[in-house]
Amino acid sequence: MRLTLKIAITVLLGVALIFSVYSYYSIQRERQLLKKNLSREARHLGESLRFMVAEIWEQRGADEAIGFLSRANQGYEQVLVRWVWIDGEPPPKFQPRVPVDQLDDLLEEETVALLAGSPDGRDFLLTYLPLLTIGGRIGAIELSESMDEMHDYVQESLRRSAMVVGAMVVSSLLLVGGLGSFWINKPMRRLRDQAERIGTGDFETSLNLSGTDELAELADTIERMRGQLAEAREAEQTANTAKLETLEKLRHTERLATLGKLSAGIAHELGTPLNVIAGRAKLIGSAGLEPEDITRSAKIVGEQADRMTGIIRQLLSFARRGEARKQQVELNAVLRGVLPLLEPSTRERRIELKLTESAQPLNVNADPGQLQQVLLNLALNGIQAMPEGGILELICSTPAGIEVPDKIVDEGQLWCCLQVRDQGSGIDPEDLSHIFDPFFTTKEIGQGTGLGLSIAYGIIEEHEGWISVESTLGEGSCFSVYLPHSSHGAET
Amino acid sequence: MEAVCLDTHPHILLAEDDDALRELLDFALTRAGYLVSCCTNGLELMEKLAAGDVYDLVISDLRMPALTGLEVLESQLDNPQRPPFICMTAFGDRQTHDIARRFGAAITIDKPFDLDEMIELAHVTSLRNQPQARPLRSRV
Repeated sequence: MRLTLKIAITVLLGVALIFSVYSYYSIQRERQLLKKNLSREARHLGESLRFMVAEIWEQRGADEAIGFLSRANQGYEQVLVRWVWIDGEPPPKFQPRVPVDQLDDLLEEETVALLAGSPDGRDFLLTYLPLLTIGGRIGAIELSESMDEMHDYVQESLRRSAMVVGAMVVSSLLLVGGLGSFWINKPMRRLRDQAERIGTGDFETSLNLSGTDELAELADTIERMRGQLAEAREAEQTANTAKLETLEKLRHTERLATLGKLSAGIAHELGTPLNVIAGRAKLIGSAGLEPEDITRSAKIVGEQADRMTGIIRQLLSFARRGEARKQQVELNAVLRGVLPLLEPSTRERRIELKLTESAQPLNVNADPGQLQQVLLNLALNGIQAMPEGGILELICSTPAGIEVPDKIVDEGQLWCCLQVRDQGSGIDPEDLSHIFDPFFTTKEIGQGTGLGLSIAYGIIEEHEGWISVESTLGEGSCFSVYLPHSSHGAET
Repeated sequence: MEAVCLDTHPHILLAEDDDALRELLDFALTRAGYLVSCCTNGLELMEKLAAGDVYDLVISDLRMPALTGLEVLESQLDNPQRPPFICMTAFGDRQTHDIARRFGAAITIDKPFDLDEMIELAHVTSLRNQPQARPLRSRV
């Protein structure tokens, strides 16, 4: 409605201005015409009077002629006739109403007509007709006519114009209000409602504005937009579903890959001792073996069985995850426990494992399986970052001057730190802030799901610690796992 | 006596990083009448092969520190005097077998394997496949 009003008022102002200018010029013209008419009448009258005055002046003298003019006033109501002297020093009675220098033309014996105002603010049309008296002195007949009538006329014209403009404004406002509401406001409201509906995600309701005007076109456009948005949303939903499916597949792949790695690990770790046990058993069973060889073989069988038991224990502790089962754990032992699991991968890539244990045993309250999983994840990432080989360092320490992140409650406790340092390709600074995001991976498709680091992060968070990372492109990365030191360490 | 042994017994070069398995194979093969030299990683194996001694057979693990069995095998591809190779692997997937065969391995055997089967394979593959086992066994 406000827009309609603005347009209406602008148009009305324009129309009113044009009408006012037109009225002004019409009135001016009429006024000119009126003045001309009055002037002509006055001149006719004056000329008749001048003729008669000249006659009387000649026959009966000046006094009689001037007396005639005074008497003539009684015959004309609107026109006042006087005798004036132009030259000499006439008494006030015979002075023209305007200064003599405005009446120079009279000396040329020409009639002068001019407008003059009286001291009380009224306008007069003055007409002077020159008359050369017998004495040679120049006088004139002055006819003064009040312009009041003309003023009244102009006032009337102005009033009418104003009334027309006023009526036009009022009727236009009413019309604009009514029609604007019908033509603009109603469809605008519907358009706005539709836009709001679309904004809140309702793409179902359709909008149909009849007509062919711009609003109908806009409605059509909004309709098309609604269709496109609905399609886009549908496409997005489809894509989302597809993405979820892909993620599910990836997780499945991850599980399969883990299973595959685990199987390969089991095959390698258990295959060799099994081989030794079977071979030794065969040797013991064969004829002609010396007693000390039999004893030695039996001892080796026992050792290999122990070795297998150890491997199976490790596998079980790795597999037994989910809810953290916290207990007192010594970090150096955890670090040592990870080494055998890493050996197949490091051997394959010619990577040297370097273990730096802390001088003192470091006890934390943690789930050993989960801790091992975290270290494995970090170490395997380090190994993957070094395809050309290098040194993978596992460090256990209690560093001083740690910057504790804001979200961690720091009660001044001792922090234990497990570091995994590689000499690999390093992490791009842009990627550094994303590496703990779930599914973020820089590896090629099928090489990793991007879950490993996020799982590690989650596990350490659950242990009231945090993981930080420093990395230099081309030089390597260092992941630090911080865990609160357990004060009940002496028990274990 | 040693010199005679060198001459008469086929010489096997054994490469295995696992101490227990290496010792077992060494013992069993020696008992079966072979002269066995041992090494614990791929680099050592390579050095021994390059040293110029003549071997009748190489038995090597595929996954070893320093150099893998496959890499050693590959390095011997253009050696005309190359002894036959028996490869042992715990990752007995088809691909590993194929690669080993392509690199000239006579046989690839998956762990765990039967000890007798290994000795039988050594007999079949060794350049001199008639070791004088009897006297040695009777000696043991």
